[in-house]
Amino acid sequence: MTSGSSASVPLPRLHPRAVASYVVIVVSLVLLLLPVLWMVLTAFKTTDEVFRVPPTIWPSEANWKPIAYAFSGSLPRFFLNSIIIAACTAVVTTVVGALTGYGISRARHWSTSALLMFFLASMAFPLPLLMISIYYLLSVLQLLNTYAAVIIGHMLLTLPIVVWLTKGFIDDLPVEVEQSAYIDGAGPLRILFDMVLPMMRPGLAAAGLYVFVTSWNEFVFGLSFTSSTEMRPLPAGISLLFLQEFQYQWPEMMAVATVATLPILLLFLAFQNQFVEGVTAGAVKH
Amino acid sequence: MWLILKHSPLTLALLFAPGLVVSAIFLVYPVINGVRLSLTNASPMRPIQRFVGLSNYTYLLSDRTFWEVLANSFVIVGAAIAISMVAGFALALLLNQGLRGTYFFRVAVFQIWVVPWISVAILWGWVFNADYGIVNYVMVRIGLIGHNLNWFADPYLARLVIILGFAWRMIPFMMVVSLAALQSISKEILDAAAVDGAGPWERLRDIVLPLLRNILVVMGLLQGVKLFQEITLPWVLTQGGPVNATTTLSLYAYKLAFQRWDFGLASTVGTLWLCILLVFALAYLRFFVSARND
Repeated sequence: MTSGSSASVPLPRLHPRAVASYVVIVVSLVLLLLPVLWMVLTAFKTTDEVFRVPPTIWPSEANWKPIAYAFSGSLPRFFLNSIIIAACTAVVTTVVGALTGYGISRARHWSTSALLMFFLASMAFPLPLLMISIYYLLSVLQLLNTYAAVIIGHMLLTLPIVVWLTKGFIDDLPVEVEQSAYIDGAGPLRILFDMVLPMMRPGLAAAGLYVFVTSWNEFVFGLSFTSSTEMRPLPAGISLLFLQEFQYQWPEMMAVATVATLPILLLFLAFQNQFVEGVTAGAVKH
Repeated sequence: MWLILKHSPLTLALLFAPGLVVSAIFLVYPVINGVRLSLTNASPMRPIQRFVGLSNYTYLLSDRTFWEVLANSFVIVGAAIAISMVAGFALALLLNQGLRGTYFFRVAVFQIWVVPWISVAILWGWVFNADYGIVNYVMVRIGLIGHNLNWFADPYLARLVIILGFAWRMIPFMMVVSLAALQSISKEILDAAAVDGAGPWERLRDIVLPLLRNILVVMGLLQGVKLFQEITLPWVLTQGGPVNATTTLSLYAYKLAFQRWDFGLASTVGTLWLCILLVFALAYLRFFVSARND
């Protein structure tokens, strides 16, 4: 239990103010999670049932057809594409970003500070502007409509954050350990791989998770750098289904939305503690 | 460590080369080339680009749609950031009282932050559906409105739906960062103020908010910049309509580039966007940071 700072002493549980706080907290929780609950509930209803007035809250009986639909047609392919793209982006971006982050943290110099500021600023670069030139590049390299095209897009989207996250993480690691190892005769590469890498594992996990989540959710690169159905990542594929074929099949669409959300939610639930620490420490410190 | 790295150019290269190469090719070059393309009539449909001077700029700046779209962006992003920051900070204050069981609340709410935008878009389409949406049903039932609203046909309501979608998705992040910021305040200062007779409201106004202002400003700015880029919601939910009511600057530039294949004009929008952001960010930071130093 964390002791609060806005109240000097933790409130006893049945203090009127504590009771009022609990009420507000529970009401906000319900309100905030209601849309997600509605999505899941609708995914188990029949098309007849969702068009009933007044609406039913619980499905009158569990209808699994929408969920089955979410695993039919091109959707498994979209899933596979998203998994491949998100995993590759997470590995590549984390490695590249962590190397840069480590360098910036350890090599204190005006040039590395400038590089850090450049990465911060680059998050604001208008994406359509970047996409146009990258589209030209990719078409010259014959990479349009490949995984590599989308991975490149997602990498430039996430690299700045990974640099910032890992830089902040390494700032907290004592440099003395590395220095004394150097004095004892260890080479820089050995220091990096044998000493720094193991210490950085939680930071790398947080960064990798951030990249995976971002890549899984990203829509525009997936839409414009792929052109054939079998190369579409999940968000782009779903959006085209929604806009073209299934606009009014709400249970089916809610099932697809649920199934697209679920894997990332489970992954996030498993790792979010490290992640929250990484992100908030970064946000609060800088 | 700097001394060690200085004596090992190979290690330095290993550390910095990948990041520098990637950013040179995929961040620096596209921006410079984008500014160049804004002076041309470039299009993947055209084999030859022609230099057209500033005509893209004069066209855009005299086009009403451009200004409307720009205003939309600021209204939608600004409102969403304001709503999510106020709500997120208020929730963080509630959670920061040391009440039991609030950890569960934090975890549950934070899950919203990973719901994919595409799921939010489809879900919002269903929740705000004019005839069968749950929002209309509940609002009619509790007497807030007399009849079902057609959310996606009215410019103001359509903007509101987008704002609510953005804000809902951003609240968890704002809450978690605010909470971490609140917990960074030393208890001694607050206790001392309490002893001097400052009530909870005075402590919030005179101590907590001034201490956290920079963190909150940076958080708002960064998330605002991010939302400025976000197009899934308007693209899937309203396709920028009705007319252009929910077309943001990013959706507009994106449609110009990848639907009309007018790379020249889209680059011009991007370049102007870059200029606007630059001015806006400088003014924003300068105002808040210098106010602190006074």
